[in-house]
Amino acid sequence: MTKKRESESYLPLTPAMFHVLLALADGEKHGYAILKEVAHRTEGKVQLSAGTLYGNLARLEGSGMILESDRRPEFGLDDERRRYYRLTDFGREVAIAEARRMEETLAQAHAKRLFRKPGLV
Amino acid sequence: MPNSKPPFSERFFKMLVRVFPFDFQTNYGGEMAGVFREQEREAEARGGVGGVLRLWTETIAGVFRTAPREHWEILKQDCAYAFRMMRQNRGFTLIAVLTLALGIGANTAIFSVVHAVLLSPLPYRQGQQLVFVRQQAQKMGVNDIGFSVPEILDYRDQNRTFSSLVEYHTMSFTLFGHGDPARVRTGVVSWNYFEMFGIKPILGRTFLPPDDQIGAPPVLLLSYEYWKGDFHGDPGIVGKTFEMNDKVHTVIGVLPPVPQYPNENDVYMPTSACPFRSSQRMIEGRDHRMMEVFGRLKPGVSLAQADADLATIASRLESSYSKTYPPEAGYGVAASSLRDELTQGARPTLIVLLAAAGFVLLIACANVANLTLSRMARRERELAVRTALGAGRSRLLRQLLTESFVLAFIGGAAGLLLAYDSLGLLADFAARLTPRAREIHVDTGVLLFTLAAAVGVSVIFGTLSAVSARGSLASGLKEGSAGAGAGRQRTLVRSVLIVAQIAFSFILLIGAGLMLRSLYQMLQVNPGFVPQRVLAMRLTFNWSKNKTGEEIALEAKQLLDRAKGEPDVLSAAVSSTYPLEPELLTFGQSTTNFQIEGHPLASGDAPPLANVASASPDYFKTLGIPLLRGRLFADTDDQKSLQVVVINDAMRRRYWPNEDPIGKRLSPNDGKDWLTIVGVVGDVRELGVDQTPGVEVYSPVAQSADARTLLVRTMVDPWILANRLSRAVHEVDPQIAISHVMSVEDARHESLAAPRLTASLLGLFAGLALLIAVAGIGGVMALSVSQRVREIGIRMALGAQPSGIVRMFLGQGLGLALLGVGIGFAGALALTRLLKSLLFEVTPTDPATFIGVALVLIIAALVACFVPARRAASIDPNVALRCE
Repeated sequence: MTKKRESESYLPLTPAMFHVLLALADGEKHGYAILKEVAHRTEGKVQLSAGTLYGNLARLEGSGMILESDRRPEFGLDDERRRYYRLTDFGREVAIAEARRMEETLAQAHAKRLFRKPGLV
Repeated sequence: MPNSKPPFSERFFKMLVRVFPFDFQTNYGGEMAGVFREQEREAEARGGVGGVLRLWTETIAGVFRTAPREHWEILKQDCAYAFRMMRQNRGFTLIAVLTLALGIGANTAIFSVVHAVLLSPLPYRQGQQLVFVRQQAQKMGVNDIGFSVPEILDYRDQNRTFSSLVEYHTMSFTLFGHGDPARVRTGVVSWNYFEMFGIKPILGRTFLPPDDQIGAPPVLLLSYEYWKGDFHGDPGIVGKTFEMNDKVHTVIGVLPPVPQYPNENDVYMPTSACPFRSSQRMIEGRDHRMMEVFGRLKPGVSLAQADADLATIASRLESSYSKTYPPEAGYGVAASSLRDELTQGARPTLIVLLAAAGFVLLIACANVANLTLSRMARRERELAVRTALGAGRSRLLRQLLTESFVLAFIGGAAGLLLAYDSLGLLADFAARLTPRAREIHVDTGVLLFTLAAAVGVSVIFGTLSAVSARGSLASGLKEGSAGAGAGRQRTLVRSVLIVAQIAFSFILLIGAGLMLRSLYQMLQVNPGFVPQRVLAMRLTFNWSKNKTGEEIALEAKQLLDRAKGEPDVLSAAVSSTYPLEPELLTFGQSTTNFQIEGHPLASGDAPPLANVASASPDYFKTLGIPLLRGRLFADTDDQKSLQVVVINDAMRRRYWPNEDPIGKRLSPNDGKDWLTIVGVVGDVRELGVDQTPGVEVYSPVAQSADARTLLVRTMVDPWILANRLSRAVHEVDPQIAISHVMSVEDARHESLAAPRLTASLLGLFAGLALLIAVAGIGGVMALSVSQRVREIGIRMALGAQPSGIVRMFLGQGLGLALLGVGIGFAGALALTRLLKSLLFEVTPTDPATFIGVALVLIIAALVACFVPARRAASIDPNVALRCE
């Protein structure tokens, strides 16, 4: 219960934050990979700049939603200076809470028949 | 090729990353550069130059969006930590905030005065173009003889450098129709006077040309203060009528609160409404000078050009009217900037006070830096632990700077409150020096000054603590680090700070000491009269009812008889004025040129000038002015008898050094009338106890018909008689307006208010400085004792006597104190010249003050050192050695 309340205290997340969490949901990634994933998934609609990305990473790391991963790709496969980030359990909880919040909002929009053309009912 | 990026873009990106907090740069900077490299490569491949430009735009925007948030986050954390630390060290916080509040508060208060009086533009439209025009008779030693009506018209018509020239004089009239007859100080001005200054009325209108025509219905403008005070800000005042000079005057407007120069008036009227100014005699008399002249320079005209223009007109007039402008008088006309006129009286005092407040702030700064250093010694471990836990060094330095800023900011806010609180008092003080005092208030300029002071202070002592912390961060966790190199270095810094504090305190104490000595000298001066238990009140006759001299003389006689009949009255007199009367100090004495019978003037010599006053027979007795030769006035000296005068001793010394002046004759009007000297009285310091008495001629009230003041010497506290005497006066003539009721002792007290307040403020600053510096030196000694416990233990174990230990520490403290006094001595010698114009009979390098202050400071320092020294002497060597 306390945990839930704690994760909800971060809501609503900024779109950039949510996208970063989402990008890490299926596995750890380095910075550039996160940018690519977000751009790809949103069909280029969300393009994070380096400053915005790392500002968000710093904040997510500071609040314990993501962690720098210890694992490194095999030698030679990747630049060693790159750091990889992974979602923590708490980060996943916050992301889920945010997704639920969005889902509820969406349901309310449906209930209000927002998507139907006016005058058809 | 792994490194194919253009080096410029990489360098630029790295520069951009510097906008982020240092820790952020360290953490993510390298990676960000890597990400950006890849983004750039991709953008180039996809969109060419356009793509790269787009990426740059987005990246720069992203950095400037994100970086402030990062800084803000850190600031929040640091502030929260700073507040936690402040709560943990309440004693330190309290002392530091209090010291800074006093330092910053003193500066803010004095600065708000300096800002309003010396720095702000005049509250008139384009005030820099406004000038005060003076006609002088230099060879007669008169700086301002005023202008006559024909002269004003000549200068107005013939000048080429002024867009307007307006006249001004002030008189007292009696106003009827608003309670008791009231004496109102009236400014008599040209119709375009207020238009030239750009003063817009807050109610009604100002004068128009028809108001200034002879025979126009009389109109009045009220000053803001008079309207607020006597009419309680009545919004319906415009259109009300009052009687003055036997005529109905209509109020046409109310002025805004603006500084009035050369003096404050209750009401203003156009020249046509003043019975004196509109008389034929004044309009035609070229040597009937009673007006002051103000002007507005045409755009682009300098003061020197205006002076040259005025000089041309003056020489033209001199050749046209050679009798009116004899060359031996040395007539001349000069313009001076109105701003200088308004502020010159305040400038030296304010500069001295600002410098003194600046010193207090420096001392406060040094003191807080010292406190911070001693706290840093205790925080070494905490900082070292945080370093070990991964906090970067720059992060900790930033933290320390934030802490100092938070302290300074709280100190500044408290200082601002202190300053705000003392502003009323300071404005009263400044009002004695300049008419601009009413403009004093806390505005944006003052707030910015306070902020700048707080930031400056925090930078000074924050840097000191940061620098001190840097040395210890590396060694903090090692055992015994407190006694190591960093500690010794810190003691040295602290000693330097203490020496600086003592030096600054010395300079301040010298300043205060000199002012106090000067004030003491002023109080010791024999003013030439006995001011105690004399009540004075200003009487304004209704001019239109008392036309002849005989009538005035008769009424004066009746008043005196009535006053003398009151119980507790020892003697009573009427006179034109009395010594040290506040109005006399503002307007100066009346003067006249005279010639001495049998002393023809050598050609080219200016006729001698004397101050003139009128006095009833008991004037000298009432004020305790001694008769030195001859006799005083008698009731028989009236309009029908021989015209007589009494002179002062200064006049006798100047003109009859080896003769008896009794029986000699003077003429004030080129031999038309001759006045016989019947007595010589002692010199009186009329214009201030610090002003050397001038040549004085007294004539009897019965002959001069000038009775404006009633003086009464009483057996009891003179204030007890104030109401009774007022009633008595109104019983004789209900149309006399009574004002300025005060005891002569109060007038004397008042005349010393400015030097007394300057001395008090300097004394306050110096006292604060002394307290802070002495507490500082005691603190350094205490720290030094606690750092040297082991050494003291060894010394004592080896046979050192407690008295020797005490001597050792006292010697150390004495060394610091002497060094500080030495440096302060040199500084004071250089700086006290600033005070010269404020000092009376004390030289800026007065040896007694210098030696006295040095002794006080050294003794105070020794006393402060004695406590820790005794503690050192009471250390038990066994305990000390075991502890270590």
